Amino acid sequence: MRQVAIVAGGEAKAGRRAASWRDLVQEAGKALFEDVDNLSPKDVDSIFVGAAQPERFAFLSYVAPLVAEHIGVTPRKVIARTELACVSGQAAIRYAWNCVATGMSDIAVAIGVEKMYQPDMAEAQTTMTCVLDREWDGVNCFSAPPIFAVTAQRHMYEFGTTKEQMALVSVKNHHYSSLNPIAHLQKEVTVEAVLKSPMVAPPLNLFDCCPMTDGSAGVILVPAEEAKKYTDTPMYLIGSGQYAVGNVINNLANLAEWAPLKLAAKEAYRTAKITKDDVDIAEVHDCFTISEIMEYEGLGFCETGKGGKFIEDGKPYIGGKVAVNPSGGIMGCGHPLGATSIYHTFEILKQFRGDVDMGRYVKGAEIGIQHSLSGAANQHSILVCSRELR
Amino acid sequence: MSMVKFEKIKRPEKIGLPFMLDFYPLQDEKYTRTSQFFKNLKEGHLTTTKCKKCGELLWPPRVICSNCHSEKLEWFDLGTEGELYAFTEIRLGAPIGFVEDVPFCIGIVRIGGLLISARIDGAKYEDLKIGDKVNLKIVELPDSRVFYRFSRNKEQKLPIP
Repeated sequence: MRQVAIVAGGEAKAGRRAASWRDLVQEAGKALFEDVDNLSPKDVDSIFVGAAQPERFAFLSYVAPLVAEHIGVTPRKVIARTELACVSGQAAIRYAWNCVATGMSDIAVAIGVEKMYQPDMAEAQTTMTCVLDREWDGVNCFSAPPIFAVTAQRHMYEFGTTKEQMALVSVKNHHYSSLNPIAHLQKEVTVEAVLKSPMVAPPLNLFDCCPMTDGSAGVILVPAEEAKKYTDTPMYLIGSGQYAVGNVINNLANLAEWAPLKLAAKEAYRTAKITKDDVDIAEVHDCFTISEIMEYEGLGFCETGKGGKFIEDGKPYIGGKVAVNPSGGIMGCGHPLGATSIYHTFEILKQFRGDVDMGRYVKGAEIGIQHSLSGAANQHSILVCSRELR
Repeated sequence: MSMVKFEKIKRPEKIGLPFMLDFYPLQDEKYTRTSQFFKNLKEGHLTTTKCKKCGELLWPPRVICSNCHSEKLEWFDLGTEGELYAFTEIRLGAPIGFVEDVPFCIGIVRIGGLLISARIDGAKYEDLKIGDKVNLKIVELPDSRVFYRFSRNKEQKLPIP
């Protein structure tokens, strides 16, 4: 197996965009090839397109050839769309990584896209509600906010986590996204503003939730030994963990403790030959404030049930124990489902390059992890990225 | 002015909710091998499949045991009284077909050894607490399909003498 590097990234401005599904992917594709030397779309032999629900959001199926056509790629080794709800983008990176590692591909693109804004928001909510088991949980309106609302309720009930602790996640991530020009939301919020924002599904207020966002982002993967041909600053993929338990609510491991995340993290650290203490940057799935709190716990940064205190003590900030979501996370940058993990992976590359606003720069970072979850948090995926080949 | 011909064309003003965009499952035996679940509901019984070979209680109902792949399954009655494990209230962001019901409570109910999600009728969010007893109720759709919900057991709210 070959070691694999990411040599370029490109992204569309995330937000409520006056742009269509295919407009977004063209913007990311152009930016992607402008980010790399000595490599044109025609050199790419494989493409993986992360798209969670194009059937509903854009009324399109069979989107991988459509994307290849629009960004000028002529796939001749491997082409597929990858779908794993909110992790569709990381799934695209994983497949590209596997193909380059095995020699099935020499130059692969992983690109994600989602167009969430539609004329009728109830239709968009309908689409989102199909992610959980539509006939048994979706039918009861368990879509994204309600399932994380009951998750927060159980975490508060079992561990005493407070609404104020949850609000701190929103404050931190909106602060970092205010310094990120591609972010959807670029305004700071206060704890008071979070607590006073409209109630979506108690205990979650609006600012406990990520926004609906349009966006697209891509990366290019090549064998590690070739990486320096294309860039002075490649990023190496050195570890991975992924774990899924159950699907329908009855079959989840536990609401208040994400066992599959702990298992995925253990595997990611093992394969990367690192420990949790080696992680400098963690770009994690803060779809709701409670998610990030439970990720501090699941990734091993603090004990189970102590995630609220972890942020209260200032540990997940730049300069703290570990910089969590210096991009502004999903909370600030937005969550275009199929593209989210790829935005976050590119963020780690930009951090390694020092190519970010100094107010959110994690100086000297060597190891970054990108974590995404999907469904009722029954599935967790982690990539480990390194500045140096290890 | 261009010489190209312009013509207004007709389209239906509204398109009805097609079955495959409706959240409620198709229940007729023409469409599913678990139609017995809905027949049982029509008679007031919330049931699921249990594997006769390995004993696994399966939710949602199956045609093949996901634990041992046996096809010998039997219907198991989950009872009519459950306990509220967690709950919330939909105040914003309901999907098509439910927007008119907002606000309404939904929850996870512990019943018959399972944790199943359901609508919780007859209560506001502020009235509920974890551990509350809830009773099975059946709702019938205009097209005669059925589904289960729970309603809060009102007796538990009586003041303690």
